[in-house]
Amino acid sequence: MAFTVPYLGHGVGLRTKHFPHLWEGTACVDWFEAISENFMIRGGRPLAALEKAREVAPLVLHGVSLSLGSTDPLNIAYLDDLHALICRFEPAWVSDHLCWGSIGGHYAHDLLPLPYTEEALAHVVERVQAVQDRLGRQILIENVSSYLTFSHSLMPEWEFLRAIAERADCGILLDVNNIYVSATNHGFNPEEYIKGVPADRVGQIHLAGHSDMGKYLFDTHDGPVIAPVWELYRLAVRRYGRISTLIEWDDKIPAFAVLCAEAERARTIETEELELAYAKSA
Amino acid sequence: MPSLRELQSRFFNSIARVPGGGSASFDPGLVHLVEGRGQLGPEERINIYAHMYYARLHEVLREDFPRVAAILGCAGFGAVTRSYLACHPSTHPSLRHLGRHFAAFLDTRPEVASLPFLGDLARLEWTREEVCDAPDAEPLRREYLQSLSADEWPDLRFQLIPAFQVLQSDWPVHEIWAAAGEETLDRGCARREKTALRVWRDGFAVYHAKMDAPEQVALAGVRASEPFAVICAALESLVPAVEAASAMGSLLLRWIADGILIRLPQNENGTRNEQP
Repeated sequence: MAFTVPYLGHGVGLRTKHFPHLWEGTACVDWFEAISENFMIRGGRPLAALEKAREVAPLVLHGVSLSLGSTDPLNIAYLDDLHALICRFEPAWVSDHLCWGSIGGHYAHDLLPLPYTEEALAHVVERVQAVQDRLGRQILIENVSSYLTFSHSLMPEWEFLRAIAERADCGILLDVNNIYVSATNHGFNPEEYIKGVPADRVGQIHLAGHSDMGKYLFDTHDGPVIAPVWELYRLAVRRYGRISTLIEWDDKIPAFAVLCAEAERARTIETEELELAYAKSA
Repeated sequence: MPSLRELQSRFFNSIARVPGGGSASFDPGLVHLVEGRGQLGPEERINIYAHMYYARLHEVLREDFPRVAAILGCAGFGAVTRSYLACHPSTHPSLRHLGRHFAAFLDTRPEVASLPFLGDLARLEWTREEVCDAPDAEPLRREYLQSLSADEWPDLRFQLIPAFQVLQSDWPVHEIWAAAGEETLDRGCARREKTALRVWRDGFAVYHAKMDAPEQVALAGVRASEPFAVICAALESLVPAVEAASAMGSLLLRWIADGILIRLPQNENGTRNEQP
């Protein structure tokens, strides 16, 4: 099976602080990514803002609570809410995370790590397939930043991610910052990760900032993308080609222009790398 | 090796059973499974998740109940949210619902018994959250009332917008809300006073206002889908009979200015009302 999504360019996450730009006509960006759960409500300003956003630019939905790796039953009410949101806003695609976040009916509201075992692999593949059947569309799954690994894991994360994408026939949202954070926290080579992910499954890239906590890196999304992550992004563009790329900034959110400048930097890097590749091939 | 489900149960219990409790609450069976390479040992790694769990949920409650948090201060609010999360871990995929039991929880807590109004203050903050994302509706405008003929008034019925709630309290909770927002609340000076508030959204802004007895009676009539004439008759128990219709008219104008009324889609005879 194949996986394709349209190329949207370089976008930013839609955050409450920037809603006024939607009404002022100053939200000039290639595309927006909206957090699905923030719009699973019945009315009010967020839904009006999302309506406005999709008038301005293409929209995708990114979830944080699907809990794909959980051993609880899939939350059908949640999936139905997501389906309703999809029907109303017609996003270009829908994504969530390769993790778990709930057990016994309780939600951690965090992206908790999975062991990379055959049991977990079979479980997540089945869940992704069930979600895709329920939503009637393929989804993208995103690699998360992690702070621990399990001693009984049998494969590196990128092999786990690759196997799920191929067996469940879904796409990959590759978070380059998360690769860098996890690589530092666990001591693997981030370039090996980029090279291990199948190019034909990658539909979107995330870029974000993180915090250096001394003994580890913490995925805070509260600052600009750092130089080593930009370098990894260069490698990703060389490896995967032109992929829709999004700047995530969730805390200490700056002016909209700062976000757009980060998106423009990503565009510049993409252009440079693609021109370099073209020159080499010519 | 434990099953995936057993692993997840151990993990969740380790980070959530005692919110903010630290490594003493970690399941040894989980610690044993976590790799401890590099600068961090297994417990330190699990503790990152334990810290995130509590910090994130605490922050959501602080954002949903800013005035309760201001009254209790950092340490007091932190202690209460730890207890709350231990009793009421999140059961919904959206954080929007995390604080739904918080007001009732505060009513029962001995550590805040010296602040007996605190539960109702939380109730007001939560009610404001609920109307904030209640369904949208197009409110009636003043021009609609002006277009009515005199013989249409007695049978006239209204309904309230979905983003509208009434809150009853034994405390002047609107005054406590205002004082807490300005950090001018004298905790010991709050006096019991039966208070009825209406809480509503107009556009994207949320408001609340105290209601006097006639407004409460009239609003109860509207909620019961009573016609204008019946509501006026009910008001006669509180205002002179000759002033009842005028009082009701004033209330209607106020409610329309606040954007809280929509017209019932059908009148008593089952025929469709003309749209304003």
